Amino acid sequence: MSRLRALVASVLVLVARLAVAAPLPEAGYGLPRDVSRDGHHVDALIHFTMAAATVIFVIVLAAMLWAIVRHGRSHQAVPEHGSRATVGLLVATLVVIGVAVDGSMLVKTLIDMNEVFWNFESADRQPGAIRIEINAHQWAWTARYPGPDGIFGTADDVVTTNDIRIPLDRPIVLQLASTDVIHSFYLPNFRVKRDAMPGMVNALWFQAEKTGEYEIGCAQHCGPNHYKMRGVLTVLKPDEYDRWITDMAADARRAYDAGDKEAHWAWEWRRNM
Amino acid sequence: MAVPAEVLIAEQAQPIHQEPTSFWRKYVFSIDHKMIAKQFLWSGCIFLLLGGVLAMMIRWQWAFPYRKIPLVGELLLPRSGGIIGPADYQQVFTTHGLIMIFFAVTPVLIGAFGNFLIPLQIGARDMAFPKLNMYSYWSFFLSQLLVLASFFASLGSGGAGWTTYPPLSTNVGTPGAGQSLLVLAIFVTGVSSTMGAINYVTTVIRLRAPGMTYRRLPLTMWGLWLTAILNALFVPVLGAAGLLLLFDRQFGTQFFVAGASAVRGGGDPILFQHLFWIFGHPEVYIMILPAWGIVGDVVSFFARKPHHWYKGSAGAMIAVTVLSAMVYGHHMYVTGMSPLLGQGFMVFTLAISLPSMIIVLNWLWTIWKGSIRLELPMLFALATMILFGIGGLTGLFLGDISMDLYLHDTMFVVGHFHFTMAAGSIVGAMTGIYFWFPKMFGKKLDTRLGQIHFWFTFLGLLAVFLGQLATGYAGQQRRLFDPYQYTFIQGLHGLNLATSIAAFILFLGQLAFVVNFFKTIFSKEKDREQNPWQVGTLEWTACSSPPAYHNFDHIPQVLRGPHELSDPEVMKVLDRDWVGQAEPLPQGTAGARA
Amino acid sequence: MAAAVSASGFGEETPPGIVRRLADRRRRDEATATIGMVVFLASWAMLFASLFFSYGLLRARTPVWPPLDQPPIPVLLPAVNTAVAALGSGAVILALRFLRLGRLRRGSWALAASAGLGTVFLALQVVVWVGLYRAGLVPSGGPYASVFYALTCVHALHVLVGIAALAWLAARGFVGSVTAHRHLAVRLWGMYWHFVGLVWLVLFATVYVI
Repeated sequence: MSRLRALVASVLVLVARLAVAAPLPEAGYGLPRDVSRDGHHVDALIHFTMAAATVIFVIVLAAMLWAIVRHGRSHQAVPEHGSRATVGLLVATLVVIGVAVDGSMLVKTLIDMNEVFWNFESADRQPGAIRIEINAHQWAWTARYPGPDGIFGTADDVVTTNDIRIPLDRPIVLQLASTDVIHSFYLPNFRVKRDAMPGMVNALWFQAEKTGEYEIGCAQHCGPNHYKMRGVLTVLKPDEYDRWITDMAADARRAYDAGDKEAHWAWEWRRNM
Repeated sequence: MAVPAEVLIAEQAQPIHQEPTSFWRKYVFSIDHKMIAKQFLWSGCIFLLLGGVLAMMIRWQWAFPYRKIPLVGELLLPRSGGIIGPADYQQVFTTHGLIMIFFAVTPVLIGAFGNFLIPLQIGARDMAFPKLNMYSYWSFFLSQLLVLASFFASLGSGGAGWTTYPPLSTNVGTPGAGQSLLVLAIFVTGVSSTMGAINYVTTVIRLRAPGMTYRRLPLTMWGLWLTAILNALFVPVLGAAGLLLLFDRQFGTQFFVAGASAVRGGGDPILFQHLFWIFGHPEVYIMILPAWGIVGDVVSFFARKPHHWYKGSAGAMIAVTVLSAMVYGHHMYVTGMSPLLGQGFMVFTLAISLPSMIIVLNWLWTIWKGSIRLELPMLFALATMILFGIGGLTGLFLGDISMDLYLHDTMFVVGHFHFTMAAGSIVGAMTGIYFWFPKMFGKKLDTRLGQIHFWFTFLGLLAVFLGQLATGYAGQQRRLFDPYQYTFIQGLHGLNLATSIAAFILFLGQLAFVVNFFKTIFSKEKDREQNPWQVGTLEWTACSSPPAYHNFDHIPQVLRGPHELSDPEVMKVLDRDWVGQAEPLPQGTAGARA
Repeated sequence: MAAAVSASGFGEETPPGIVRRLADRRRRDEATATIGMVVFLASWAMLFASLFFSYGLLRARTPVWPPLDQPPIPVLLPAVNTAVAALGSGAVILALRFLRLGRLRRGSWALAASAGLGTVFLALQVVVWVGLYRAGLVPSGGPYASVFYALTCVHALHVLVGIAALAWLAARGFVGSVTAHRHLAVRLWGMYWHFVGLVWLVLFATVYVI
């Protein structure tokens, strides 16, 4: 009997843990605040899968506990290798789970990937889209804006370190590269992540729906200071952003040094990513 | 009664050899599979302890960052006075992962159980190639020495994560002999695994006793045999990756070097990831298949009824084996590969979840309407079901690309693979240890200590890895020396601290097992009871506990499957609920013929 | 044979045909060893497959292959090597035929010849390497050079192991007598030798020709 109590206790611990994973502001547990236009696709899938997994787990666990209690030493075992009925029930359970859970996940994800997350062209082509090139390196994020002329590698490029500012409600398209090791650009509040791979240019896009300061994390072990590779993404109101980028571009033009080869790390914006 | 021809042939093919008498030939350079199994068990358990200590250091860092480790701090980190620094930290998590996977779980689950059980369960006197078996152990021992040596390099051991991704793992990213020694250690252990795989695969094919068809093999044999096939095919891929990485490090080649150090375009870091994960995904199945097999047999034995839909489970294990290399890209969803390729991998990944579910559901269907005895092996087997179940379900999140965009490289991944590998494989191994201990050493492990060990382990694993899942769900990345640099993680310090305390308790709880192990081995009186669990497989019914050097006085003639339990006809005739696989029944007894 | 049967402890009725089936023991042992060798070669095949995969991936992402400033890789000597490899395999097949007929001396000479041909292969390979190294193709010269040296070196190591095995078998043949065991070893190492030759064929086609 005490074994049963201990088992029930472990189940309650588990359920409590899951309950605790309910959304709470950044100060604690649960999914971080989602301030993106499209992050809800990810959250919807996570909630759906969490519910399905919990239901499956609870049912199987309940059946296990029932068997342990009711089909114990005093119960006479039924020596069955598997009848058509029992195997059929198992396969039916599998088919139901496969179609309902795996199937829905697959369909929703395929749609989300093609229409949203990997749809760089639609984001890039929009008139107000902001393009940023990110040079991830040990151990900071250096971002380059094309400036008013819209071309990367010119005197009016705005280059910042660990400080990316973007306007509200406009598609932000990033191209990521690295010159040393693999890093991974991670925005928890936008539910996006992409590796910055040496020798390659990767693309990522998102759109913000709330102003504020959000963290940029590195999500790929890149050396001893991987833990310090933290940046800040600031979402500004459109007019604030315009003021900021204009001021920064003016500073950049003034400070431009044609001889500083290392500072001119830009690449031509890749089309058809 | 006439002896069947097949038995005579088998007897002639495996003549009884004299047991060696010299200490060196008996205990050190032994070609006896049972001794080699024990060698793997000891080596694996020692490194399991080392891996555990490294894990405790990681948990210490997250619970009490920048604080000196008590008691053993100065011993472990003399240069910094017992405080873990960022460079030390990356060595700690790197070696923790590598040691646990290659030098702890693999030798115990595959080296020890495979070697001990395969000849005994199939009715053979030894492996097909006993000398190769010995070389397999000693090359493994060498690889362990290489790992230990890496700690004494001037810059310390390697620090690029167990995944060893270049360019971080090249000599530009991680200079020094430590990383090279680790890569070399992995190559050498790969050689050992491949030698073992050749033995296991050939032995199961060629040395099964007469009547031991594939359908009558214990599920443990299916697990170990399929694992060996995967080992034979995919460890060489890791070998190639390691070889090319060593070439990059030592000879300046450019297979994986890219970025600023690239020459003429450089190599491709993603190439390494392809090679690594073509090995790496089958590797996780290599680590779980034996555990699946062991749990399958044990739940049947301790529910006193045949395993439900044996063909389904064996078939599911085969399906998983075949599919295992086709899903590997799900480790690379965020590398920027083409979305179409990613989607293909996603389809296969979701598909491979189905055979795993068959195996778990078959366990449930087996214990249902059984006569469950909660002996120690059964407790651990049931715990494996629950813990692996959580692990498998969390895998669904990660196999889906959309969710992986958020969850990739967070602690959610770490929680997932610890539930499947640390909990699934290791608790599965514990199931095996408690079950076969009397076979190996002649006496059952103590029940009281075993129960203490069980509850500490089961509840401890739940607490620690649910804690990790929760922090990952909240977005905490993995491999962070100081997670609290991030504002959004600062609120998780309490949870990390609680998880660490649970981890320390889990670690301490293993003491019950260590005490039990040594106490029982050195206890004077042995039961020498041949079949304490009352089951029908050959290792229990056709030889003594522990077995003689030559295993079987007579090669058995197998007549039925491994799980013939509670058959009413048998109970009537033999007055017990089990019958041996090779036990002849009186003519005309129906039933128990599978 | 009857003595063996009764010594195993089963002196009573022996089934008919048992004597013939007991004599098949040699064939059974050979089957076991052959399966072991097949698994062994499957593992090595996967290693080489991984190396060729790496080559393919690196080549696919490089617009110009070979890079314009790298010295050209010769085709003549490697083509000669291909013939040498084929002859080497032929020598092993010949050796097996002699051994099966009981002609130990001739078999041993054939084995020695295959080892010798292997040595010629390695010598020519060394000539190619030295020539290219002097011309400026060095392992640290980028992915093209890396692929070339890695593939040819790993293959050459396998050739070396094969030469050692065949030479040892030849020596044993000259000194001792043929037994079933040694014949089996020749057959197994013959499989290995053919495998190494096959890998060379793929290597020659993909690295030297294309």
